[in-house]
Amino acid sequence: MIRPELICPAGTPAALKSAVDSGADCVYVGFRDETNARNFPGLNFSRKELEEGIAYAHARGAKVLVAINTFPRAGHPQLWQAAVDDSARLGADAVILADIGLIDYAARTHPELRLHLSVQAAASNPQAIAFYAERFGVKRVVLPRVLTVPEIAAINRAVAPVETEVFVFGGLCVMAEGRCALSSYATGQSPNMNGVCSPASHVRYVESGRGITSQLAGFTINQFGLNEPAGYPTLCKGRFNAAGKTSYLFEEPTSLNTLAMLPDLINAGVAAFKIEGRQRGRAYVAAVVQAFRQSVDAVMAGRPLPDINLDSITEGGRQTTGAYEKAWR
Amino acid sequence: MMEGPNRAGQSKPMIPPFSPVLLLGLALRPVRPALLQPVFDHLLKVVRSRHPDILERLEVYGERSVCIDPIDLPFALILEPDPTNPRLTVRRFVDSDEVHATIRGPLETLIALAEGRMDGDALFFSRQLVVEGDTEVVVALRNAIDGAGIDLVADLTAALGPLAQPARRAAGAVMDLVSSLRGSVETVRQSFIAPALQGAASRDARLAELEAEVKALRKATRRGGVA
Amino acid sequence: MTKHDPLSPVRLTLGPVLFNWRPEKLRDFYFRMADEADVDSVCVGEVVCSKRTPFFAPFVAEVVDRLHAAGKEVVLSSLALIMTEREAAQARELAQMDGVLVEANDVSVASMMAGRPFVAGPLLNIYNEGTLAYLRDLGAVRACLPAELPGPVIGTLAKTGGVEIEVQCFGRLPLAISARCYHARSRNLAKDGCQYVCAEDPDGMDVDTLDDEAFLAVNGTQTMSYHYLGLLAELGALRGLGVNRFRLWPHNVDMVAVAGLLRSVADGLVEPEDAALRLSELCPKAEFANGYFHGREGHRLIEADA
Repeated sequence: MIRPELICPAGTPAALKSAVDSGADCVYVGFRDETNARNFPGLNFSRKELEEGIAYAHARGAKVLVAINTFPRAGHPQLWQAAVDDSARLGADAVILADIGLIDYAARTHPELRLHLSVQAAASNPQAIAFYAERFGVKRVVLPRVLTVPEIAAINRAVAPVETEVFVFGGLCVMAEGRCALSSYATGQSPNMNGVCSPASHVRYVESGRGITSQLAGFTINQFGLNEPAGYPTLCKGRFNAAGKTSYLFEEPTSLNTLAMLPDLINAGVAAFKIEGRQRGRAYVAAVVQAFRQSVDAVMAGRPLPDINLDSITEGGRQTTGAYEKAWR
Repeated sequence: MMEGPNRAGQSKPMIPPFSPVLLLGLALRPVRPALLQPVFDHLLKVVRSRHPDILERLEVYGERSVCIDPIDLPFALILEPDPTNPRLTVRRFVDSDEVHATIRGPLETLIALAEGRMDGDALFFSRQLVVEGDTEVVVALRNAIDGAGIDLVADLTAALGPLAQPARRAAGAVMDLVSSLRGSVETVRQSFIAPALQGAASRDARLAELEAEVKALRKATRRGGVA
Repeated sequence: MTKHDPLSPVRLTLGPVLFNWRPEKLRDFYFRMADEADVDSVCVGEVVCSKRTPFFAPFVAEVVDRLHAAGKEVVLSSLALIMTEREAAQARELAQMDGVLVEANDVSVASMMAGRPFVAGPLLNIYNEGTLAYLRDLGAVRACLPAELPGPVIGTLAKTGGVEIEVQCFGRLPLAISARCYHARSRNLAKDGCQYVCAEDPDGMDVDTLDDEAFLAVNGTQTMSYHYLGLLAELGALRGLGVNRFRLWPHNVDMVAVAGLLRSVADGLVEPEDAALRLSELCPKAEFANGYFHGREGHRLIEADA
């Protein structure tokens, strides 16, 4: 049985420390620009902060991975290439990439740098994974959140010794990642190019007769009654009118939580468990990392799973196991 | 209903708190905001020297002002995060038009948020916080403050020198008191505001009818072939 | 109007039908395209959902023959999202076919085509010259670019060389693909027992906001734009950028007329403003947009400079 690494998010140096102190095996971060898919206001790392963060993590036996997982702008690859160069220079343990051209650059320029394939590349089958592993030496692939546990197990059998990493907690993309232009259609800001989905700059909360209306770029995404839990207006978690009714057509405001199915994912041969949420605060990071640290340790030691309630930090107070169970589809 | 600054017609967090902080707020009502200004000048100075990275993270939002409105206190704050000349102004009334954004919630929640003890998204999801206006600057402020690792009590007392320890204990005692009284006060709060909410419900029903009518008209116009 | 290099004639590609049309209707549609439509290339194949594939499979051979007989280039398009072994096997079969060009809409299919000519489909993430050059070296002879690229990016990619650039110019835009079926979900059905409800909406199911503002469209597991892309006034600029091949997404309208109209505009024979009116008549239910080309929100309609 592989002991899966726990891969934890950090949007700031304080969150990085919080993750390491809470038991993270690896922390993943991004630079403060559009080279990563959490290019949110006030978030992310300067070069100096990354250097200090790597020192802090390494001193405590944890690794730091740098996500450079947007798609470089045509004619201007320098910003992305510099992010790869600086990650290698500062001693990052791996870079997480999505764009074929940038992966090709990294493999040629830094043959010693460990490469992970970002979920944004949406490699959803063994042949796609083999493409990145054989041509560029990618060591690990973060699987898109579209696969069932049996499908993940089948992929692991086919692609070994390439490792797979799956999301175990946090915000859930319901579309295949890196293959969704809903946000740019509404706002003009592209997750793939600008690193932001449903950007805060386009979000407004408006008072209505019965509560709050959330809008994205002028489109009403949801309405909440006075006592209803609210949500951030992420496009695919909104309420829409279709087929003659109003519903959460794509997905409810909900968070992925796989605590209860960790044994199944470990048996499926997954090498690493990823927690989403670089945009969340360090209180979230500490709570979730501790919960998963305890749970993974319990499973590996043959103990029963601890009963941990993460309701208070999930979106809409709701949880799902997402695509890992076929009924979700 | 008892209210602090001008909040008529503004949205409120889900649970209007009737907490010990509110009692403190009532006690502070006669105090002119100008008398409190030096406290906040000092706070800003300390935070600025201990956490210079906050303003650095807010660099591109320097010209956007944010109203921080503790709904259980009779005043609100305006933060202007200009990296060279930041200001934190205390005011009795803040009109939403004066600022780019507003964050509104009980004082305890706002402090927990500032200290990273509670998750901002979680607070918002559960409606303990309300955000209005420019969401981007609010998110930036949240991220910058969370990333700094602030401990407000420590920050304030650090500047007091030899008086620090007693001040820290006193501040801690106040927060403890606030927490312990919350439960009993909740009962009082319910009996105060329940009737008001009932009146609001019937108004909302009428409003819903009107909204539905407008919607139907709008749909008819659009589907009527205006390409 | 802009003068264009007469050596670079306009080429039109009819993209694959993304919707779930009845197999006989789909066959007759392709027969008519073969016989009447002024297009150079025609894409055939299921892109969205592998559950739909078996129904049209018996008709593919005769459709390909008819298109070849009419002098059209035939392109067989792959699925966009390949997750199961069955879907992967289907893709391998596609990659081994002779006499047709394969359009890869997933990296795995591009990988299978390595060393042989293929088309890099619009659902691959080609955002920059590095990726485009890599796919070209792999064997891509043509690349249909993603919908959200702005004009200057298209221009940069068109200069890469060695690979023909195709740009989407008509129809609802494919915006996202998922494992989950929203058509089934809208009827409270699971994907496994979907009853093929997506067939009820030959141009996709309209999705409105809570204010009844038209916003998106659902086509099974695919999410599309509500608006139809309509690049007419932009065709001249695109040709100026070195783009000479344009893709039309099939809709449940007179596609022979739509193709003819697009070609007239691209050849500079009809003014875009006149064509826009005619296009609205041909697609009475459609609202048009062109925002992406102008670096704006995809749903925007940006008026041509006066």
